[in-house]
Amino acid sequence: MGKVVFDVQYQTTLAFLISYYFYFTGLSAGSFMISTLSYGFGLEKFKPASKMGVVAAVLLLLIAPQCLLMQVAWPVKSLWHNFLYLNPISAISYGSFLLILYPLNSIIYGVFMFKENKKWTKLFGLIGIPLALAVHGYTGWILALGVARDYWNTGLMPIVFLFSAMVSGISMMILFIMIRDRFFTKEKVINHDLIRSLAKILGWLLVVDLFLVFCDYSILLYSKLEGQEVAHFMLFGKMSFWFVIVENLVGKVIPMIIVFVPGLRRSTFWLIVASLMNMVGILAMRIVTVYGGQALPLM
Amino acid sequence: MSNPHKTRNKDLPRYGMVIDLNRCVGCHTCEIACKIENDVPLGIWRSWVKEIEKGKYPNVVRAFRPTLCNHCENPICVKVCPVSAAWQREDGIVMVNPHLCVGCRYCMSACPYEVRYIHPQKGMIDKCDFCSVRVDAGLQPSCVEACPTSARIFGDLNDSKSEVARLVATKPVSTLKPEMGTEPRVYYIGLDVATLEIRREVKLVWEK
Repeated sequence: MGKVVFDVQYQTTLAFLISYYFYFTGLSAGSFMISTLSYGFGLEKFKPASKMGVVAAVLLLLIAPQCLLMQVAWPVKSLWHNFLYLNPISAISYGSFLLILYPLNSIIYGVFMFKENKKWTKLFGLIGIPLALAVHGYTGWILALGVARDYWNTGLMPIVFLFSAMVSGISMMILFIMIRDRFFTKEKVINHDLIRSLAKILGWLLVVDLFLVFCDYSILLYSKLEGQEVAHFMLFGKMSFWFVIVENLVGKVIPMIIVFVPGLRRSTFWLIVASLMNMVGILAMRIVTVYGGQALPLM
Repeated sequence: MSNPHKTRNKDLPRYGMVIDLNRCVGCHTCEIACKIENDVPLGIWRSWVKEIEKGKYPNVVRAFRPTLCNHCENPICVKVCPVSAAWQREDGIVMVNPHLCVGCRYCMSACPYEVRYIHPQKGMIDKCDFCSVRVDAGLQPSCVEACPTSARIFGDLNDSKSEVARLVATKPVSTLKPEMGTEPRVYYIGLDVATLEIRREVKLVWEK
């Protein structure tokens, strides 16, 4: 209706470092879940993935908060202000506790696992599951409680984050297990049974993830103006390459087809392709959600 | 216009502002006055005037929307701040405590009015505080004092004899985004809907 003569451009606040932080916590939560399948739930098939899962979960959770500290303007101050001047109704507040409790629990769990102490491993594994869900779920809450942005402010956000965490974690585990079996074992043979079972889980989680994206967008396109604008921005606007092609086609649909077609699933090469594509797609999903969600000015 | 959910002390002042756009000529003096008073660095504004041009010759007009912190009754920034650095004074002015702020910028992305900025030198969040130092000294905010057409009127909304309370009570006023439930205390008279449009063209961070 009108042509803008003068306006102030909004400073973009949360961009790549926060996306990487969400990505690393997601990978960590996903690999932790895989490691609890055998010790926590007694699925012996997944036992060869357990130790690798817990090591990956701990290492990634040591990297992830570094991204957070680099994003914050006063990193040293934030280490103690987050506890001393805690605001109990802020989503970020809970993160500072979870980011301490979850790695600690994972380390204890890992130590018991390497000592082959089944009872204590099971206990700490089961304690770890809600913590892993919380440490990644709360990142969804952070965005969902940024109420000004319609793209973020949805109850689906924590669930979308959990599912994307699990798919990216499983993809990473598939790649890691292949590398370990091929190069770092005596037999140099990949455990195809384990890999295919993980791939099957990956496929079904991708189905749920795509369904959640469909729910989110079908509702967003019907919602109020800002929601419609941001949905058009993602689907047809400047963000469409990253959202439609990279995140959903490359990152979710093609890997899903690969793991569901029996001929492709049996091929190691295609599984590597699917896992790599999925990991790239989920990284794109983090950037699209965090940066794209607030790229449009509100007024 | 009173908030039934809040039991704020009625004896204390509740500061607010009315911006009469029938008087505004779009001279941007308030912007400059604010920048000088609060030492706001280049590239960022605590208060600015969005200016748009609408219509087709000969029926054209320029419309303005002076923008500043709305000093909401239910400020979202205060809710989301993890270190309690965003806080609200008893008289309703929403402040940032620079000693507590760690610069996480969560409040910036949660504010529906996009009035908070990150100070390039301090790395902390900064925003309009109704010139609280001047207000405490009994003066008007500098944008109000500088406005050549007296389009900005500042005062105590709880005092029924004040000009702002009279305007809010008797004129058709509007606020920005009332649907957010923030209950802004900056009121506009004669606000043009064209100034509220979302800008669709944006420059992404990886675009040169």
